[in-house]
Amino acid sequence: MFETIGIIIKDYYKWILEGVGYTMLVALIGTLVGLGIGILIGVFRTMPTPKNKFLKVLKKIADVILSAYVEVFRCTPMMVQAMVIFWGFALLNDGQTLNVTVSALIIVSINTGAYMAEIVRGGIISIDQGQFEAAHAIGMSHSKTMFYVVIPQALRNILPSVSNEFVINIKDTSVLNVIGFAELFFQAKTIVKINYETFATYLLVAAIYFVLTYSITLLLRFIERKMDGKKNYKVLGSQNMDAESYAIEMGGNKND
Amino acid sequence: MIDYPNCEIIRVEHLSKSFGDHQVLKDVDFVVNKGDVTCIIGSSGSGKSTLLRCINLFETPSGGQIFYHGQDVAHKKDPDLYRRNVGMVFQSFNLFNNYNVLSNCTLGLRKVLKMKKAEANERALHYLKIVGMDAYQKAKPKQLSGGQKQRVAIARALSMHPEVILFDEPTSALDPEMVGEVLSVMQDLAKSGLTMIVVTHEMNFAKNVANRVVFMDDGVILEEGTPKQIFENPKEPRTREFLGL
Repeated sequence: MFETIGIIIKDYYKWILEGVGYTMLVALIGTLVGLGIGILIGVFRTMPTPKNKFLKVLKKIADVILSAYVEVFRCTPMMVQAMVIFWGFALLNDGQTLNVTVSALIIVSINTGAYMAEIVRGGIISIDQGQFEAAHAIGMSHSKTMFYVVIPQALRNILPSVSNEFVINIKDTSVLNVIGFAELFFQAKTIVKINYETFATYLLVAAIYFVLTYSITLLLRFIERKMDGKKNYKVLGSQNMDAESYAIEMGGNKND
Repeated sequence: MIDYPNCEIIRVEHLSKSFGDHQVLKDVDFVVNKGDVTCIIGSSGSGKSTLLRCINLFETPSGGQIFYHGQDVAHKKDPDLYRRNVGMVFQSFNLFNNYNVLSNCTLGLRKVLKMKKAEANERALHYLKIVGMDAYQKAKPKQLSGGQKQRVAIARALSMHPEVILFDEPTSALDPEMVGEVLSVMQDLAKSGLTMIVVTHEMNFAKNVANRVVFMDDGVILEEGTPKQIFENPKEPRTREFLGL
């Protein structure tokens, strides 16, 4: 058995590495673009309702469209989405299909975006209202509040869910074999067609998937800990101004 | 600092606020002059905090006007400019969790007032020194005690050079020792001539530091006057009852 696996590695390592490369490329970019989509939608959906009537209606319409997007992509399998998008594009362009890698990137990104939208929204509404108020109290606009105060905290809080999506994506890109995308599972299928070593090949592929996802999990946990910063801090030499000298400096002593 | 005696900063006229059927503020009139240290006292649910939050436009008034230097701000679309001049200190501190102490104080200076980093740091450090927290400039909020957090929050508000600072029960979430450290900072600020509106349950602070005390009950200002008038010789029976006289 191990001999067979050894032979598979020796004979097909280039294909396998190519598959790993494509899988990781699509999973990584798909997750990042998906997170970007999620942030945009999450921020939009948590925006305060505009006072202007026209803008209010516009936001309502956009809200409906966005929730339709989220629900459609969350409630259908990615394999089916891949087929519909890939062949739908071909139908609209006289049989000319879209580049497979580009299709794969688009499909994983918008699929992930649908999940991320909800994850980010959850992250934003989990931030204490006091953080918003404190930012508004020093004159920050809603967008500045979101950008500098809320989103950094929300991103930290949702990082475990984002990591989860990334790991899911590494595995789920395997469904893209249906459009002929040369990711790891597709390469395995091709290898099996040549060497007929079905079990050994897929066992090897399973092991590779595990190593990929588990090492990514460990890496992301490490990043999470890094983001939390040091537990300790340095107390610098203090030169406190005492109360009276401050009062004198400010020139007031109205209560005396 | 130019000092205009009795210069009016904020005037609240016929302010009312309802949450659904529940009317929290009923026709409140209220003036804040420059250099005033006003303490708003009264039992929980009497509308003190809501009044403060209306002044900062965190709550949209249901009726009435709020004038800032004679300009109605209550129905402004964009309250950010106004809020730069009105600082706020919260009961639950609300320091920005993702920044250290120094950055908490410089964020507004850099992103709202567009100051240069060095200039912002210098100003923030000045106020951190005043509240005695400059040594902790690198600490994150979660590493501080409640009293320390509140002192940083005061420095954050001061850094913006507001004309008035609103304190919403700044010591209610603190243990007695920490209450002392925060109140002493506030007392120093009052001495320095800072205009302050303080919602508080600390009667001694109101008695000794304020120059004006407002007693609120059931959504109205029942009585206001100097600390001496309110604490020694209140006119209203409800005020007497509240103060246990």
